[in-house]
Amino acid sequence: MTKRPFSAGTPVLTRDLLVLLAFTGWCLALPHYGSEFEVSMALTCLMYVALSSSWGLFCGSTRYLSLATSAFFGIGAYTSALTLDSLPWLASIALGAALAMGVAVVMGAAVLHLRGTYFAVLTFGMTELIRHAVTYFEKKVTGTVGRVLTVVPERDTIYLTVLALAVLAVLVSIVVRRSRFGLALAGIGADEQRAQTLGVNTRLVKILGFAITAGFAGAVGAAMAVRWTYIDPHTVFNPFIGFQTVLIALIGGAVTLWGPLIAAIVFSVLAETLRLQAPQVYMMSLGLLLILSVLYLPGGLASLRWSTMGGWWRDGYQWVRNGRNRERING
Amino acid sequence: MSVSAWLELLASGLITGGIYALVALGLNLQYGLMRILNIAHGEFLMVGAYLTWMAQTTLGMSPLWMVPVSFAVMMALGVLIHWLTFRRLSATSPNLDIFEARGLMVSFGLMFLVQNFASWMWGGDLRGYDYLTDPVPLGAAQFAGNKLLVFALALLFSAALIFVLRHTLLGKGVRALMQSPTGAQLVGIDTQRLHPLMFGIGLGLSGVAGCLLSMAYTISPSMGEPYTVTALIVITLGGFGSMGGALAGGLLLGVIEALGMHFSNPSLKALLSYSVFIAVLLLRPRGLFAK
Repeated sequence: MTKRPFSAGTPVLTRDLLVLLAFTGWCLALPHYGSEFEVSMALTCLMYVALSSSWGLFCGSTRYLSLATSAFFGIGAYTSALTLDSLPWLASIALGAALAMGVAVVMGAAVLHLRGTYFAVLTFGMTELIRHAVTYFEKKVTGTVGRVLTVVPERDTIYLTVLALAVLAVLVSIVVRRSRFGLALAGIGADEQRAQTLGVNTRLVKILGFAITAGFAGAVGAAMAVRWTYIDPHTVFNPFIGFQTVLIALIGGAVTLWGPLIAAIVFSVLAETLRLQAPQVYMMSLGLLLILSVLYLPGGLASLRWSTMGGWWRDGYQWVRNGRNRERING
Repeated sequence: MSVSAWLELLASGLITGGIYALVALGLNLQYGLMRILNIAHGEFLMVGAYLTWMAQTTLGMSPLWMVPVSFAVMMALGVLIHWLTFRRLSATSPNLDIFEARGLMVSFGLMFLVQNFASWMWGGDLRGYDYLTDPVPLGAAQFAGNKLLVFALALLFSAALIFVLRHTLLGKGVRALMQSPTGAQLVGIDTQRLHPLMFGIGLGLSGVAGCLLSMAYTISPSMGEPYTVTALIVITLGGFGSMGGALAGGLLLGVIEALGMHFSNPSLKALLSYSVFIAVLLLRPRGLFAK
């Protein structure tokens, strides 16, 4: 796995900012000439850019594999669904993000001392617990299954909000990479005990990073709930949202800055073209892609270089030659 | 509550618990031995169930005959999957932590692949067949014959696996690998051969579990995920890699659920099992019975 130099100089910073600026400009222009379908596709795409970039910010650099994205997403969605009547649009999104961050701080304090599979499984378990708790609460106390959102802002408002969140997520990643905080996160990912010995307050740094990730997921959830106009626990707490975020970040390259963005675009196009005609084929190719990328491209799409393909070629050649040798020995 | 009602409640909890223990066997072997947390475990169970259902409805074979058949089929599939994916993964991963994380991702991929293959192949409908549905009186209470059979076979398979691991040379090799992979290699245990074999047996056991479950419950392509979660809960209760612990953990979970559902209400079942799971992971991450 090639590591990006974290103290990269100004040229890289300028390049990153320019690419981000161009991306933003293109996204801003899209609603003016694109069809309804294209805009809705771009919206999904931006949602996953925000989710997986912010996921990569914490989980990619520290290698804490969180499956709780859908919990924060759902919390945000329910917050905006409940408060949209009484609060202005931006305030209810901020509230969704704040609530998700609050939950993340509590959850993080409880589980962030566990690493690896324990952490992944626990975050998944807690997500399911929250989902079942909300379902139970809705069924028994409020007596509803889902909620219909009657007052919704215009399509362009939602689009601009999600675009702002996506750009903000990438921007925060750029800034964090260049800060002491980002170095601390990367240090935890490389060797947590060493980071601790060198004076990093790992507990605090981890909780803070987890909360930032959760805040973005909560805000995106709050913005997207309005787009769907009908929400129930099963759709907004769907573990698949969390899985897909992780998939996109990993396939793109979770430690890299642009990997999640590239993968989110690839995925949205793939999803929209395949999902309607053949949903199962889409999911099967998703699974296959994931397996192949873990096996042959562990650094993600962003780590793809000409030399990587050369490596595959050599591997394949070696494999064929070994096979031939084996045949010669056996025959 | 009278004594007989209590006994009936406990017995029904134990029967469900025995099934849970059976579901957990294969996953426990895979995770305990090779650190492969096979999230797709339940999906392979579902494939075993579908194979049994197909054999029963189209060929008219007795589901009992399908127990060895689905074991063999799934074991072959397991060896193939290990050869295609995990072999390369363990060769290229720098350490066990990274292997574990990547293995988890690969099994997520397998989960998507297998689950959607099933729904593409067999459709999303609920399927099932009748087998030994007559109730069997047991003391004052009555239980469905197929569930009793499943329970008995679950206990049998658990006991057999525990016996094999304790008393045969193969089992001793496997346990040695669980304790220390390097040490096991030093004393001449062939990791390259044992790993695919054990992964295959783990998958074979999930096929058996699916086959048995299809006798008593309806099946669908999405049935796998809850069973994966149950299996995870059971092996955390029992401690990763401990077969006796998983059996005890499964029975315990069954009883807890039966009692909890009786005294609160049935829609709390999922909430209850997740709470137990999280509590155990946080408070006793090495399992309830760890010394």
